[in-house]
Amino acid sequence: MNNLVFGKYIPIDSLIHRIDPRAKLIGLFLMIAAVFIPKSWIVFGVIALFIAIGLILAKIGIKMIVQSFKPMIMMMIFLLVINSLTIKTGEVLFTIGTFEIYSDAIFNTLFVIVRLLLMISITTLLTATTKPLDLTMGIEWMLKPLQILHFPTHEVAMMVSIALRFIPTIIEETIRIMNAQKSRGVDFENGKLGEKITAILALIVPLFSVAFERAYELADAMEARGYVPGAERTRYHVLKFEFLDFLFIIICAAILAFSIASRFYL
Amino acid sequence: MSLIEIRDLSYSYNESKKAVDGISLNIEKGSYTTIIGHNGSGKSTLAKLIAGLLPIKQGEVIVNGLKMSEENLPEIRKELGIVFQNPDNQFIGSTVKDDIAFGLENKRVRSEDMEPIIEEYANKVGLSAFLDHEPQNLSGGQKQRVAIAGILAMHPNIIIFDEATSMLDPKGKKEIKKLMYDLADDEANEITIISITHDIEEVLQSDDCVVLNKGKLFMHDKPEKVFEDAEKLRQIDLDVPFIEQIREVFRKQHIKLKAHDMEGMVDELWRFASNH
Repeated sequence: MNNLVFGKYIPIDSLIHRIDPRAKLIGLFLMIAAVFIPKSWIVFGVIALFIAIGLILAKIGIKMIVQSFKPMIMMMIFLLVINSLTIKTGEVLFTIGTFEIYSDAIFNTLFVIVRLLLMISITTLLTATTKPLDLTMGIEWMLKPLQILHFPTHEVAMMVSIALRFIPTIIEETIRIMNAQKSRGVDFENGKLGEKITAILALIVPLFSVAFERAYELADAMEARGYVPGAERTRYHVLKFEFLDFLFIIICAAILAFSIASRFYL
Repeated sequence: MSLIEIRDLSYSYNESKKAVDGISLNIEKGSYTTIIGHNGSGKSTLAKLIAGLLPIKQGEVIVNGLKMSEENLPEIRKELGIVFQNPDNQFIGSTVKDDIAFGLENKRVRSEDMEPIIEEYANKVGLSAFLDHEPQNLSGGQKQRVAIAGILAMHPNIIIFDEATSMLDPKGKKEIKKLMYDLADDEANEITIISITHDIEEVLQSDDCVVLNKGKLFMHDKPEKVFEDAEKLRQIDLDVPFIEQIREVFRKQHIKLKAHDMEGMVDELWRFASNH
């Protein structure tokens, strides 16, 4: 769990780090749309190649991306089992005892898994190369139209940013509590369902307590430093769209266009 | 006129027990005041009331002539900064410079003016080389220094340290205490320091010592005067510094030692032994 990297910012200087957070957020939405549309492995390959180039330019090792997949493994296995049990179309690929596994079950699962992995990679690339505060500014900018409806855009953006900033801290806390409970004999891995629920409660109750304590102290620290929700603030980083940002959006839009086109021509 | 005036201040989190019970005291400008007492004695609640982080329900807090109220709170906040116990719970920024900038942004300092301020205060706490580092990856002492730089950048007249050294290792503790003493000695800025602490040695360095017990003001005097009444402190199970214990032993033998530091006491004892 301490290897969980989702949401973690990597403070280095790279071309991807320098892209405006607003451009990165627009890119994120375009790329997620591009991931969901195609049914062609070629398009998935192109998107994966784009992500790989992004990772190289951002100086982020593949190890970090692989680590970000780890929490999803159980979900993927679950998905495979459910699909194998429910999808009975296509050819029979193989049998386990008397149970037949169909090609559509495997391919549909693979499609979902690849989409998920690509989405996680894109999001990790965004969070690893964008400071939480910059991300806040980007989210706030994107939500701006909602201000007409008196939607608290800045507060929402700040909440998202703090949530991202606290992911690694809460994970560390979880590990600490797990170790403390393990040392008192709580077994998180083995036992019956009832025992496991008790074990998880022994983790969740103190975790929530600590998380609330941290939240109160952070709120006090923010207030003490003059933060007033909704009040006007200046910015240390002033966002400015530049050529690189437009280029990034154009590339993402081109991939989305290719993805849409693939539904008709591939 | 005192910089902080507290009059008959009470606060309770629930009906059954008062966390702060009828406290009245004054804190002078430029002074270094330590607040000691057991856990649950009301130290942190008092600090939060002074900082305006808890609403005043009973009594008064007057900071630099301004009575704590909802209208005056923004003005009072400009006077105050607070450094908390756990450095991990104080960071907003993803890098040291972003975190120092957070308070400046709230203070509406123009973006082009922020860079020199950030550099100045990072330099003051000895973190110039760490401006682009993530606060989470720094040592405990460094993290607290980031928090202090963030507060100093806002030019407060008063800084409250709420057990700011209690979660640090000995090295971190030493770093932060030195920084606190340097701030207290900085006559040009005349910063008033209020430190909630369990560190008796730190208390000896302060100008004033406030002892709280069960939410009430138990003692308030110069630290040496507070520790002279060791019996009274022992009534509430508080420690007396080693040097004061030595003074107490000699006092019982009708030998009055004046020095309050180890070096001075050794000299005094040496002179005493030479004369007898």
